[in-house]
Amino acid sequence: MKVRKLDNDGMADDVAAGIADVLISAEAIQKRVAEMGGEVGAAFRGVLPLLVGVLKGCALFMSDLVRHIGIPLEMDFICLTGYGGAGRPSGAARITKDLDSAIEGRDVLLVEGIIDTGMTAGYLLRNLEARQPRSIRVCTLLDKPARRIVDIPIAFRGFQVPDRFVVGYGLDFRQLYRNLPYLGVLSDDVTGLNLPAKK
Amino acid sequence: MAVVTISREPGAWGEELAARVAGYLGFSLIDKKSLAQIWDEINPDEAALCVVNESGARESGVSVAQNGDCAGLSGDLIAQLAEEQDLVVIGRGAQGLFHDRPGTLHVRVVAPRRFRIRQAQILEGLSAREAGRRIRSIEELRARHLRSIYGISAADPNLYDLTLRMDRLSVEQALKLIVTAVDEMGLRQVPRGKIVSGLVPESFEKRGRGRFANAAEIEFARFLEFYHIPYDYEPRTFPLEYDGNGKVTEAFTPDFYLREQDLYIELTTMKQSLVTRKNRKVRKLRRLYPDVRILIFYQRDFYSLMAKYGLLAGRKQPDPERISR
Repeated sequence: MKVRKLDNDGMADDVAAGIADVLISAEAIQKRVAEMGGEVGAAFRGVLPLLVGVLKGCALFMSDLVRHIGIPLEMDFICLTGYGGAGRPSGAARITKDLDSAIEGRDVLLVEGIIDTGMTAGYLLRNLEARQPRSIRVCTLLDKPARRIVDIPIAFRGFQVPDRFVVGYGLDFRQLYRNLPYLGVLSDDVTGLNLPAKK
Repeated sequence: MAVVTISREPGAWGEELAARVAGYLGFSLIDKKSLAQIWDEINPDEAALCVVNESGARESGVSVAQNGDCAGLSGDLIAQLAEEQDLVVIGRGAQGLFHDRPGTLHVRVVAPRRFRIRQAQILEGLSAREAGRRIRSIEELRARHLRSIYGISAADPNLYDLTLRMDRLSVEQALKLIVTAVDEMGLRQVPRGKIVSGLVPESFEKRGRGRFANAAEIEFARFLEFYHIPYDYEPRTFPLEYDGNGKVTEAFTPDFYLREQDLYIELTTMKQSLVTRKNRKVRKLRRLYPDVRILIFYQRDFYSLMAKYGLLAGRKQPDPERISR
């Protein structure tokens, strides 16, 4: 995927500090999300799907996506603790915000901002499948397959992205950058990726 | 909220058991490291001073009085955490801190000294004499800490609901006994029937006994366990070359095998320039065993994974105070 020079799309410098490149522009995102909305609408025609957004990365994507799905649908959200390393009190993933409604017998669409290793999506799929929905499919804005550990059957994919640290449009680094309207590549200087290599 | 305290003799698998219990029950694990991190988040200025120190005062140069103050503060913090979430507390004098607290299970983990010395030898590469000395030193420091802060002796059987001999039990068996006790005492909020089988993490026992080669492997194992991915550590060695007598002259043992993914993962934190030999072995493995799926996690892959969760020390992030102005 071609990376173009940084254009802050009108954001203040502080918001975009540390962004090395724009990977996908706001316009390209909106165009693709509109297409995906059409694809999802067509796939679920005749049923009432329940879109389950995986917080917080899905927030912007899901809110834009549903506006392009031309069939009735329901929305819900789920949130999982993120891996915090050896020093964190909890040694296992836990759902911190569960679904508000039962999904037994429902047609579920799990909506992710990005699928990287597949660990989070895999955990959630196993958890949701145990609740016996009629069907469950996965929709992700970004698919980063380079380090995929858990295979995820992705039914709807926005973009396949290279092995770069991507933020913006809902995706964060330490809770920042979610409000960027585009998808940017964060510099190694910010992530710390440049530091270990020097050892 | 529910609390499980685990008091352990050094070398009796207490840490592994505590982590396994916390993972299984979905309780937060409170140990020295996690407590230090919480301290650091709450009050970084005092964190360095108040990383308590059950094996303690002398090690860090903190006076007994200061150590007592810190233990008090840490005790307050643990007690406060117990009000908010279910905990497994390893050490920290928790059997004294929560002695009469309702909703608490007190577990003591023991093993004969010879067994514990052997474990210390295996895990830390010490001689029997060094291991014995190390264990005795830790015992003395912990005993002094418990006596000075809570006025108790760890060996007092009246402090515990359950005592487990780890030379007779595996970590898995000990886990089951603790979980049974937790359920019998009605401590678990989520009924057993609601726990989805297959979502419980794999045993730390294999991990501990497998002796990970480096910190990256330990971190990666924790990562797998966090997401409840069943794995085996170095379960299979693939012969790559034989001499004329059929003796194996070259072999390769990938670090992890993920059972559900049928995927081997080789983790290397060597610099890219040093991985040529390993790459060659993996290529050979793929050629000889085409049905085997293997993924190499290079140094950058591993660090990218850690960076994703904000675990690398990157450039300081914007200061919210400054931005709000």
